[in-house]
Amino acid sequence: MIIVVCIKQVPEIADVKIDPNTKPLIREGVPTILNPFDEFAIEEALRIKEKQGGEIIVVSMGPSQAKQAILKCLAMGADRAIHLTDSLFAGADTLATASTLSKTIRKFVPKFDIILCGKQAIDGDTGQVPLEISELLGIPRISGITKLEIEDRKVVAHREIDEGYEVLESKLPVLLTALKGLNEPRLPNIRGILSAKKKEIKIVTASDLDSNTNQFGLTGSPTQVVKIHTPEPRAGGIIIHEDDPKIAVNKLVQFLKKERIL
Amino acid sequence: MKYRKVNERVLKQLAAIVEPNDILSDRERILDYASDESSIEPHYPEVVVRTNTTEEVSKILRLANQELIPVTPRGGGTGLCGGAVPIYGGILISFEKMNQILELDAENLMITVEPGVFVLDLHTYVEEHDLLYPPDPGQKLGTIGGNISTNAGGMRGVKYGVTRDFVQGLEVVLPTSEIIDLGGKTVKNSTGYSLIDLIIGAEGTLGVITKAILRLVPLSKLSSTLYVPYKNLQDASSTVSKIIQNKIIPPAIEFVDQSSILVAERYLKRSMPRNDAPAYVLIRIEDKDETQINADIEAVGEICLENNALDVLVADTRGKQEEIWEGRSCIIDAAKAEGLVEVVDCVVPRASIPALIKGLNDIAKKYGVECQNFGHAGDGNVHTNILKKTMNDDEWNNKIPHLLLDIYTLSVSLHGTISGEHGIGLTRKQYFPMARDEKQIELMKEIKRVFDPNNILNPGKIFDLD
Repeated sequence: MIIVVCIKQVPEIADVKIDPNTKPLIREGVPTILNPFDEFAIEEALRIKEKQGGEIIVVSMGPSQAKQAILKCLAMGADRAIHLTDSLFAGADTLATASTLSKTIRKFVPKFDIILCGKQAIDGDTGQVPLEISELLGIPRISGITKLEIEDRKVVAHREIDEGYEVLESKLPVLLTALKGLNEPRLPNIRGILSAKKKEIKIVTASDLDSNTNQFGLTGSPTQVVKIHTPEPRAGGIIIHEDDPKIAVNKLVQFLKKERIL
Repeated sequence: MKYRKVNERVLKQLAAIVEPNDILSDRERILDYASDESSIEPHYPEVVVRTNTTEEVSKILRLANQELIPVTPRGGGTGLCGGAVPIYGGILISFEKMNQILELDAENLMITVEPGVFVLDLHTYVEEHDLLYPPDPGQKLGTIGGNISTNAGGMRGVKYGVTRDFVQGLEVVLPTSEIIDLGGKTVKNSTGYSLIDLIIGAEGTLGVITKAILRLVPLSKLSSTLYVPYKNLQDASSTVSKIIQNKIIPPAIEFVDQSSILVAERYLKRSMPRNDAPAYVLIRIEDKDETQINADIEAVGEICLENNALDVLVADTRGKQEEIWEGRSCIIDAAKAEGLVEVVDCVVPRASIPALIKGLNDIAKKYGVECQNFGHAGDGNVHTNILKKTMNDDEWNNKIPHLLLDIYTLSVSLHGTISGEHGIGLTRKQYFPMARDEKQIELMKEIKRVFDPNNILNPGKIFDLD
C-alpha cells in the first residue's frame, strides 16, 4: 500500500493574536505546529501501514521552516518526504497549491493507493485543497472521515454529516480527508525523532515540476485575497432571570413576539 | 482556652467596620469556611468577615486583639493540612473579595496583587503579557495569599524555586493591628532582618497578608513535554538525578506512578499517552529557540533511554502538553473523588528519592494500605496519597498516626523533612518536633509571642504555645 500524506505547517492558533488596529494576524514569535487535522491523517496512514505494510510518503509545500512539521511526521513513522520549497510557490491560492501538490504526486509518486489529508488547515480553514487535488488527479474522494476500513482494493469510510454519518465505499486509488475522531494520534518518540533525521526529505522546486513556472505561486493563482477582516464578535444570548417561571415565560413570549419570531 | 466568644457587641462593632452583607454567621453559609482539603473534621468559625480593604483588616485585628477573639485568615481553602481551619472558632477573615490584580509593572517585571487572587488567574493574566509567574502548585484555585503563607512550591521548583523566591514585597497587618510594608520593588535588600521571610511560610500565624508584590520572569514561548514510561520506580527516579548531573535543568521534572496515572485517567475520563508502565517521568523543556529545544529534547531523551526508559514520547503542541500536565495536576483531586485520602508531602535531597520511594512503598505494605506516589522529582518533593478504600474507620484511624510516624521518621533519616510545600498546619503539628530541634522551636515560639502577644492570630497551628 503506497500512501501519500499531504501536510501543512501552521501557527499554533491558541497563540495567534489579532492586532486590533492594522494587521489581522500577529505571527511574530508564534510557535508553529503540524496542522492538527494532518496529525489524524498521518496517524491513520501509520495504522494502515502497520496492518498492511507499504510506504508512507509525506508531501508538504512551505518555506524551509516547514521542515519541522515534516520531521514530526517522519518521527511518527512516515518513511520519506517531499518538501516543495521555492519562493516561486509563495502566495499560492488553494488551486495553485492543489495543482502544485498534484503535479508532485503525479511525477514523484505515480503509483499511489491512498492520499490522506487533514480536512482543512487551521490557519486558512478553507478545506479546498484536498478536494481540488482529487479533481486534478481524477480520483474519487471521501472527505471528513471518522472511521476507515480497508478491504482488498476498496475502502469503507464513515463520513460525518450534520445528521450523523454516511458509510461510503470507494475503490483505490482514493483521496481521504481526516477529521477529529478518526483516531488518537500517537506522540512521536525520541527514537523516531532521532531516526527522522536520517530519512530522506527530497527538496522539490518549481522548475523540477514544470518549465513554465508562471503557473505556480501568486502568478498562478486565479483568486486573490483582497482584504482580511475580523468578523464582528457575536453578541451573547439573552438569559431571562426570574424566580417565577410564569413571569419568565411571559417575558420570553413577549420578546419572541417583538422579534416577530412568534 | 482563654478566648472570648463573638457576642452581640462584637458583631455590632464588626458591622461598623464592614458592610453588613460581608458578615456571615448563619451556619449554612459558614459551612464552606469550616474545613479545607485535609481530612480533618470541620470547625465552624463564629463569624466570617469578607474584607475589602487593608484598613478593614486592621480594624478587625484591633478589635479581636482587644477582645481576645481568635482570627483565622483564609484564602481559597485548598490547604492540605488544616492551616486555614478555625479550630477555636472566632472570626474568620476571607479574602474572596480582595482579589484584584492591582498593577503590572513591565519595567521592573513585577506585579502587585491582592491576596485573594487565584493562582490560575494570576498565571493567565501574566502569560497574556508574555510573562511567567513560575510557582505552579497543582491546586490552581488556591489564592496567592495562601500560597505565600505556606510557601507553596509546585512543578517549576527544580529550575525556578518556590513562592518565597518570587515574593518581593508584602503589605502585612500585624495581630496588634499595625500595617507594615515589607520588602519592595528593589531586587537587592541588605537592610536589617528580613521580616518578609518570616511572614512567608508562617501559615498566617504572624501577620495577615493584604497585598503582595511578586517577581515575574519572561515567558519562554516554545516548549515541549517528554512523557517517559519506566518498568520500575527506581530507574525513573534515578534518571532525574542523571539529567541534572548532565547540567540540564528543565523547568519541571515530575514523577508519577502507575496508580496515579490510572486514577487521573478515571477522573479526567480520557486516556494518557500510556498507562501500562509502573512509573513515569514527565519533563518540560522550554526555550526561546527551536534548535536549542530540539537539542535538549534529544539530550534528555538519550539520558532517559540510558537509564532504562521504556520509551520517550514527545508532546510538542500546547494541547497535548496541557493534557499531560493536567493529568499530573489532578492526582490529589482525582484520588479524593474516589474516597478518603491522607496526602503526604515528604521532601528529601534529590539524590535520596529512590530510597524514599522504596521506603514509602515498604511502609504502605507493612500497614496493608494502597498508596500512590507522585510529585516533584526534580526537587526531591514526593507526594503520597494513602488511600483508605474499604478499610473500616477504626482501623484507618488507628493506623494512620503510626504510618505517618514511620514515613516521617524515614524522611528525616534521609536528611529530608516532613513537609515540602503543604505546611504543618494542624495535621502535622504533632510530628513537627521530629523535623526541628528544641532550640529552633523555642525560637519560633518566641517570635510568635513578639508578633502576637495575645496569641489571637491563627492559634494552634504549626505548634501550640505553652
